[in-house]
Amino acid sequence: MNKRLQVLIVDDEELARRLSLEYLRAHPDLDVIGECETGLEAVDAINRLNPDLVLLDIQMPQLSGLDVLELTGRRSGVIFTTAYDQYALKAFDLHAVDYLLKPYSQQRFDEALGKARKLLIQETSASSPTSSSTQALETLLAQQSEKLQRLLIRDRGQVHVVPLDSIDYVEAQDDYILIHAAGKSYMKTQSLSELEAQLDAGKFVRVHRSFLVQVTAVQSIEKTSKDSQVAILKSGAQVAVSRAGNERLRALLS
Amino acid sequence: MHPILSDRRRFLVYLIAWMMTGVLIARLLVAADLTNWSFALLFSLPLALFGSFLTSSAYFVCRSLPFNRRSFSLAALVFASAALISGLSWLGLCYGWNRVLVLASDDVEVLHLSSHLLVLFFITGFAVYLLALLAFDVYIAFDNIREAERREAASRLLARDAELQVLRSQIDPHFLFNSLNSISALTAIDANAARTMTIALADFFRQTLAIAEKEKISLKDELRLCENFLAVEKIRFGKKLDTEFEVTEEAESALIPPMILQPLLENAIKHGIRNLPKGGLIRVTIFQREGWLHIAVENPVSADPGNSTGNGLGLVNLRQRFFALYGEQARVSWQRGDEKFTLEMALPFEPNNQTQ
Repeated sequence: MNKRLQVLIVDDEELARRLSLEYLRAHPDLDVIGECETGLEAVDAINRLNPDLVLLDIQMPQLSGLDVLELTGRRSGVIFTTAYDQYALKAFDLHAVDYLLKPYSQQRFDEALGKARKLLIQETSASSPTSSSTQALETLLAQQSEKLQRLLIRDRGQVHVVPLDSIDYVEAQDDYILIHAAGKSYMKTQSLSELEAQLDAGKFVRVHRSFLVQVTAVQSIEKTSKDSQVAILKSGAQVAVSRAGNERLRALLS
Repeated sequence: MHPILSDRRRFLVYLIAWMMTGVLIARLLVAADLTNWSFALLFSLPLALFGSFLTSSAYFVCRSLPFNRRSFSLAALVFASAALISGLSWLGLCYGWNRVLVLASDDVEVLHLSSHLLVLFFITGFAVYLLALLAFDVYIAFDNIREAERREAASRLLARDAELQVLRSQIDPHFLFNSLNSISALTAIDANAARTMTIALADFFRQTLAIAEKEKISLKDELRLCENFLAVEKIRFGKKLDTEFEVTEEAESALIPPMILQPLLENAIKHGIRNLPKGGLIRVTIFQREGWLHIAVENPVSADPGNSTGNGLGLVNLRQRFFALYGEQARVSWQRGDEKFTLEMALPFEPNNQTQ
């Protein structure tokens, strides 16, 4: 296990990055392979370089550190750095993920690195792919998305932030979903049921096996034949509604 | 809202009272041996009904003369002429209605309206209307007091909230810890800069503590606070943050509530400059014109609206705080252009008379 570890530093403040660089000088077995100023850069760098370790700031403009994890699917080899985030800290305390509170000392920094290194070794040697830290991050992200107000969608190197309010409906395709919002549509690899579980059941209704609509986007429900109906949306789009879906929708509309 | 006509129960009670007055008038007419019961009632009840509506209009006369805009002579004149008109119309109606009844019954004059009786009717109409005017006036005065009390309670609550907010913004944990982290980094890179930043940070916190207790501070003091705040932020954000202040000399002496400008700069950085890879310029313009102090803050924002952070809650709070302090006397407005955010506010210009 003498492989040199590759480290990526993500922080929007230059001085904060320089501090990490300075502390890292005491660890000649680590290579800094990049520095990112924004969450967008970080998403790109993590996908491109797949570093062993990411020093990730939580509070960053546009995309937070947690958003970066959500978008990249990265679940291990992360050390969070944060000035103050009660919410995230509570989650970390319950689990095995390490975090550094700014400002931190070299000693504290070294400890976090040591812990991360140990976890990395465990993960590469252990047969089970899900370590405790991976699970911890999953839990954290799941909690985070409970209070979700927007969807993050990565599409060919671009990241779209879609406010939940702007979504008209979501359509299931083969192994991805199409999110129709404000006249545009975005592709996301996720199942419709998974997304449905994340969204507020009082606002989004599964009206059909392959359709999820935002209740406020619905203009009317019309019968097309004896057994089938469509929901006409305010945007003009039409969405098939199953019988069970019709009941669910009407229950929410009334 | 009319206190009687807009409330069904009060209206009913009011009508019944007037009908009983009508009966009383009939009783008096009969007692004076002027007519018989049936004619007296036929005569007085419709008149009482009319009287009730006539009198209720007194409310609008009172409302048309707000307390803060009336002089005694004007009020006396208006009240007297309104009562006079009421007395005359009451008199005319008594006379006319009697004629109609006489014509309709096709009989000899059942009720002879002597000049004494007519004068009596006129005086009654005049006096009742005057009483109604005074009663409504008292009612409105009480209503105003209640409303004022309610407003005062609400504004006290808002003022306290604002105070709490001031306290909270003093200890914005992100700002503090991130600044300390920057200082920690600077100690190895540039010891002098680390010292400068420590001092600016200390000055900033000391000032917020000093001014938070005051109700009003001079704009000069607020600007000094902003300077220290920006000194810290400029070290944190480096070349990304640029500022430009344009403040006229007379405006500098104005008295303002503490911490109204600094949170705006904080917002401009948090929601504007920080989201831009290249940063930008925050421009602050302050001047005095025609008794108003105008403050404008302009900063670039990311063109992609999806990238906007925050929900404008801070700005709504600011507006509420202004309302609590100035009522309708101050104005806060903001607009988000394509790549620019502009906030403007205007508050009454209060010169600082203290020599310092």
